[in-house]
Amino acid sequence: MQTRNPTAVDTAMLRPALLRCCDALEAAAPELNALDGRLGDGDLGSTLSKCAANIRDALAQEPAGLQALLKACAQACARASGSSFGTLLAVAFLTAAKTMGDRDSLDRDQLVALLDGVGHALSERGGASLGDKTMLDSLAAIARGVENETQDLRGAAQRAAADALEAFRGKPNKIGRARMFAERSIGLDDPGMVAVRRMVDAL
Amino acid sequence: MKKLLNSPLAYVDEMLDGLVTAHPEMLRRLGDDGRVIARAGGAVPGKVGIVTGGGSGHLPVFLGYVGDGLLDACAVGNVFAGPRVDDCQAAVRAANSGAGVLQLYGNYGGDRMNFDMSQEFLQMEGLDVASVRVADDVASAAPADRAKRRGVAGMVFAFKVAGARAAQGGSLQEVTAAARKAADACRSIGVALTPCVVPESGKASFTIADNEIEFGMGIHGEPGIWRGEMKTADALADEMLSHLLPELPLDRGSRVAVLVNSLGATPHEELYILYRRVAKVLQERGVIPVMPLVGRYATSMEMAGASLTLMPLDAELERLLKAPAHCPFWRV
Repeated sequence: MQTRNPTAVDTAMLRPALLRCCDALEAAAPELNALDGRLGDGDLGSTLSKCAANIRDALAQEPAGLQALLKACAQACARASGSSFGTLLAVAFLTAAKTMGDRDSLDRDQLVALLDGVGHALSERGGASLGDKTMLDSLAAIARGVENETQDLRGAAQRAAADALEAFRGKPNKIGRARMFAERSIGLDDPGMVAVRRMVDAL
Repeated sequence: MKKLLNSPLAYVDEMLDGLVTAHPEMLRRLGDDGRVIARAGGAVPGKVGIVTGGGSGHLPVFLGYVGDGLLDACAVGNVFAGPRVDDCQAAVRAANSGAGVLQLYGNYGGDRMNFDMSQEFLQMEGLDVASVRVADDVASAAPADRAKRRGVAGMVFAFKVAGARAAQGGSLQEVTAAARKAADACRSIGVALTPCVVPESGKASFTIADNEIEFGMGIHGEPGIWRGEMKTADALADEMLSHLLPELPLDRGSRVAVLVNSLGATPHEELYILYRRVAKVLQERGVIPVMPLVGRYATSMEMAGASLTLMPLDAELERLLKAPAHCPFWRV
């Protein structure tokens, strides 16, 4: 079935998709720790594993409605660790929850608006800009990839996340601890962008 | 690594256990992981709550300033790592008696993100929460970029001033204004002689030659202004003052709070040698030091070195600074 603006997210879809993301993050933890260890303090995989475990606990209780579900995920990440990426995930979920309001589904255009809103909130909170080689660049690429897709939104998002990683590999990190090793970061994948790709691949 | 510990991973939790065991009348542990330190007696009815938080490894900062006339609760992170957002929220809840809560903490990216997030969650629940960050380290950014500076020992003055204003019955708005006034007024600079060892990693926080010091270094080993040969205490005191005084309105006859702080390993003897010179220079300029603090107030574990903080005083700041206060590490 083809519509110009297909349904992107609904209640039946989101919970299992998030649980698959959690599995993917736990599986990717050693890879993410190793990548982060070359540029930062090497705890990204552990941080995200903890987020994943807490999200799974939160989703066990089947929160009523998309907004409650996303807010529960935000609290779950807030409980995971003091490190920045966990907090930024919490910011992303809380912004998504606020945007969701009492809707029980999002069409494609609403999803793109939500992704852009999340990107804006992450930039405000974390101080990164587009082009700094962070998960913001992945999110923006995903929003642009999905924007004009009429059929396979998931496939478009996955391609965009993979392409963003490819496009930024040869560029330096411009923010965070990795900024101090800007030259060394050229040729290395940003660990946060890799985490986004692993999540999107699991959707 | 030569440290008195049982396991690097238990470092923070065993430290907290010991602290509340030593001071059960003042402090207790809260939170699902025990990473919140709060007043033993709970939130003070009718009083605005003040919370702080940050990484461990800086005692008495942060949690050591929970006490009468000071703070109500503190969210505790691992050594040099920010507290969890969840613990920031738990600290605010522990400090909340219904009169509102001020989050007062040092200006570090991670801590800021986590306390902002905490505030956002709590405001969704209808709690009255305000935030003030202390950014007093002049070595970390130019005056034009003051908002980017790191928070160091000046936090102690901000805790004291805000805590006194809250104890005197100030509203959340008034306590926030007092905290901001102190945070805006104080300036600090430090010099590091040797690094410290972060227990979880077992490694020095930075490396430096035996005969070298780093002037302006941050309390986690962030790069300073210059690295070079050791100088005399007087020369270092003069150089510290030369960075602080141009930014401060200290005319002849003005009064200033002075904190000469050990970064951990530097003994009181050497702090007094520094203070002697600082007081002399201030007095020559006709500036009057008030209630000088000389000791360990904001440390970096066993790092050797010292910092100097100055806070010009008006009548209100001086009154609040001198108001009674009592915590495990300090009594006024």
